[in-house]
Amino acid sequence: MRGGTLVLFRLALLAAVLLLWEALPRFGLVNAMLLPPLSDVLAALAHILGRADVHTALGVTAAEVVVAFVIAVPLGAALGVLSAENEYFGDIFKPMLFYVFSIPKSIFLPMFILVFGIGFPQKVAYATFSTVFIVIMSAAAAVESVKAEHLLVARSYGATQAQILRRVYLPSMLPILLEALRISMIFNFTGVMIAEMYASRVGIGRLIADWGENFEMTKLLAGVILLAAAAMAFNEAVRSLEARCSTWRA
Amino acid sequence: MQHVAGLSGARAGAKAAVEVRGLSHVYAGRDGAVPALESIDITVPAGRFVVIVGPSGCGKTSLLMMLAGLRAQSSGTILIDGRPIARPDPERVGVVFQEASLYPWLTAVENVEFPLALKHAPRGERRDRAEAMLKLVGLEGFGSRHPHELSGGMKQRVSIARGLVQDPPVLLMDEPFAALDEQTRMTMGHELLRIWGETSKTVVFITHSLTEAVYLADEVLVMSARPGRILDRITVDLPRPRTYQMMATEAFGALRERIWGQIRTAP
Repeated sequence: MRGGTLVLFRLALLAAVLLLWEALPRFGLVNAMLLPPLSDVLAALAHILGRADVHTALGVTAAEVVVAFVIAVPLGAALGVLSAENEYFGDIFKPMLFYVFSIPKSIFLPMFILVFGIGFPQKVAYATFSTVFIVIMSAAAAVESVKAEHLLVARSYGATQAQILRRVYLPSMLPILLEALRISMIFNFTGVMIAEMYASRVGIGRLIADWGENFEMTKLLAGVILLAAAAMAFNEAVRSLEARCSTWRA
Repeated sequence: MQHVAGLSGARAGAKAAVEVRGLSHVYAGRDGAVPALESIDITVPAGRFVVIVGPSGCGKTSLLMMLAGLRAQSSGTILIDGRPIARPDPERVGVVFQEASLYPWLTAVENVEFPLALKHAPRGERRDRAEAMLKLVGLEGFGSRHPHELSGGMKQRVSIARGLVQDPPVLLMDEPFAALDEQTRMTMGHELLRIWGETSKTVVFITHSLTEAVYLADEVLVMSARPGRILDRITVDLPRPRTYQMMATEAFGALRERIWGQIRTAP
């Protein structure tokens, strides 16, 4: 299928879903208590975006997400590179990392509350913990994707260690690293949301949990749309960066 | 390409471009020391084309890495252009590797520029130099392509251009055409001789192909299986320029036969 037609079909599908969302509850085909019509939800979204407590909640959540991301990504990248470059470190830590990665992180939430109390540090610590493993694994994979012959060529032309890092390691690893950035943000955002919904006083996750518990479906869905839009915006931004940086990939 | 020939043409004097004396190499294997190379002596006068052939695992590639200063030998000396080589020195030695050594994220011309960029050569100067090299290898106008947009033969042309970009007196080539199909390989051999003729480099070339060896070389060195030793030194006195028709001659066949005899009977 040609690109233009494909886009057209995708837009048609989206329009159909939105139309059904509006029509089904309006005509009483689904319970409007469970699924309020789209127009009501959008009206609620406009309304909550004007509320001061929502602004505060968004600010807190955004800060948690950003701080956890800024800690988890460099930390995970450093550990990942170390475990790929240093044979001993890798042999010792890799199996453990691998096993811990498979555990659902949310079972540790009560421990984070015991250690950090309920609040900003607990959210950041838990989100960092949920994110760091995927960053470690991706960074290790990125290092291993660097080809030996590419390193040999650089050495044969007298490259210094710093030049090898900048001109061979970095461009070789960049596509995998960008992909890792995108995926780790998904883990990170999820981590913050779960921590907020589980126990907190502020944050958008807390508000969404409250709206759910109070059966305020229009507000709940408005919150969902808001967070979905934020997550998609980040994802697309990194993806366009990815596409720009890997035009050389066949 | 006048300036290219001019820069190194003066070197085609009597001095040896590559001199290896009493080189041996032993590496630490699982069950103790493994002798890899044994008392290798090689003298390559400037401007000569020498081909090394030998069975797989005989240490040809290791020897080449040592000539490039990429690996240290256990004993013996290597002189390139009259001086020892302890670490890679692109001013004296250019290396053309086996397939897939181009950087896929760089365009053809950026790949050729790479050695100059490492030395922080001015941008305009290195671009001019790289474009000139691409023209020399027959890739004028392909500079902005990425490696995945080039054929196997074109990629190796870019590799050769990269090896020549700093105008080193010595060019080392490690089975550069091994991954190419037969026809491309023949064409590339012929092209390499043309480039060699225009630049008068000293070339040390490793191959598995006996036909390629005889077709290209002034002298063929035959190595034994591990530990690698030089079994025979065969002077190829076929006239230059070489032509494809020569491959059908008796003299060509006899040389090929002599090399094959050495490799086949090697212990």
